[in-house]
Amino acid sequence: MTMPEIIRKVGLIACGGEELPEGTISRIAARLVLEELRPLHTVTLCLPLFLAGGEAERAFARRQPTITIDGCEKLCARRATATYSGRPAVSFIVSEFIDYKGLRPPIHRRTLDEDEIALTRALAEAVAAEVDTLVEAQRSGGLGGMLSAQKGDGQKVVFADGTDEGLPVCACQSGGPPARSLQLASGAVQVVALDAILAQFAREGRPADASTLQDMLALVKIYNAVPPEAETDYAAALQREYAGFLARREKQA
Amino acid sequence: MNRPILVIPCSGIGKVYGTVGRDAALQVVEELRPGATETMCLSLLVMGDEEARRRVQGAQTVTIDGCALACARKNVEMAGGQVGAAVMVLDVYRRHRHLKSQAVTFLDENGQELANRVAEETVRAIDALHDGRGDDHA
Repeated sequence: MTMPEIIRKVGLIACGGEELPEGTISRIAARLVLEELRPLHTVTLCLPLFLAGGEAERAFARRQPTITIDGCEKLCARRATATYSGRPAVSFIVSEFIDYKGLRPPIHRRTLDEDEIALTRALAEAVAAEVDTLVEAQRSGGLGGMLSAQKGDGQKVVFADGTDEGLPVCACQSGGPPARSLQLASGAVQVVALDAILAQFAREGRPADASTLQDMLALVKIYNAVPPEAETDYAAALQREYAGFLARREKQA
Repeated sequence: MNRPILVIPCSGIGKVYGTVGRDAALQVVEELRPGATETMCLSLLVMGDEEARRRVQGAQTVTIDGCALACARKNVEMAGGQVGAAVMVLDVYRRHRHLKSQAVTFLDENGQELANRVAEETVRAIDALHDGRGDDHA
């Protein structure tokens, strides 16, 4: 049986500024990395969700290292990420990238021409290279952030519990790992990738003891916003969930 | 001369509806109602940029949102702006379900057609706002 590969994630935040062609380029470059170049290792979040969303969205950059892509020197993506979520690991500025490469500044906001698409692809390649660096740093223990998954055909992600959830692309959960309700003493909360995490620990033969629960909580915190004051509550709920999971698994076996 | 109406899309990056809304907004400001409309970077509002806040507080605004999270409308409202009309791409899609698309990065034929419909709806909202402003025109 093939052991599951640990899929490391890097977050991408593009400014997507509507007023400038560079905003369009930031957005499309991010999409190219997500969709074509590094689909297994990247996830994104709409920048306006930092304000319009909740704590789960604001925890985005705390879950994984983040690369921001800004159109101009106002640095909205970098500043928003740092302000509301966490300091980005790497920042790109489209206008500086254009200067550095000696390319023609873009003029189209809506439909890019051939040169602008070439520029966008070059930027996407540069971002993808930084994704590789960050993934390697995570792999060697330099950064946190992982989700256990088995690669199927190299494109689709099959989660450890055997469910096929497609490519995790968007942090708002369209195409991402499913969230499930976890009953805390203080009320129910949605926990992203809960079933995959339970399955991973069960597959490793971990008992429902304090050491396992500590590791499990650490993994849950990577993809979920867990307030420090609620950690004990989460740990107790995870213990109940995990004990129930193991019992059901044994019964099925 | 009328003060330009601000057309602000959410530009959501995870789903096709964000791309559709963005294309519709740029279609309106560049082709359908140039001069009468402008757009602005929503991310500037998210960052609390003072000039951006002044712009939305001093103009009528039409927001275009891709999904129910309504990031464009909420951010404009949080900045103290007045949302004259809020266009929802999902609502337009529900009326044109044959225009299903999943091409997020570059719109395909269905996505483009859906964007055209959203742009038409946005223009109707803009024209209604212009008609209703009377002597309030700057």
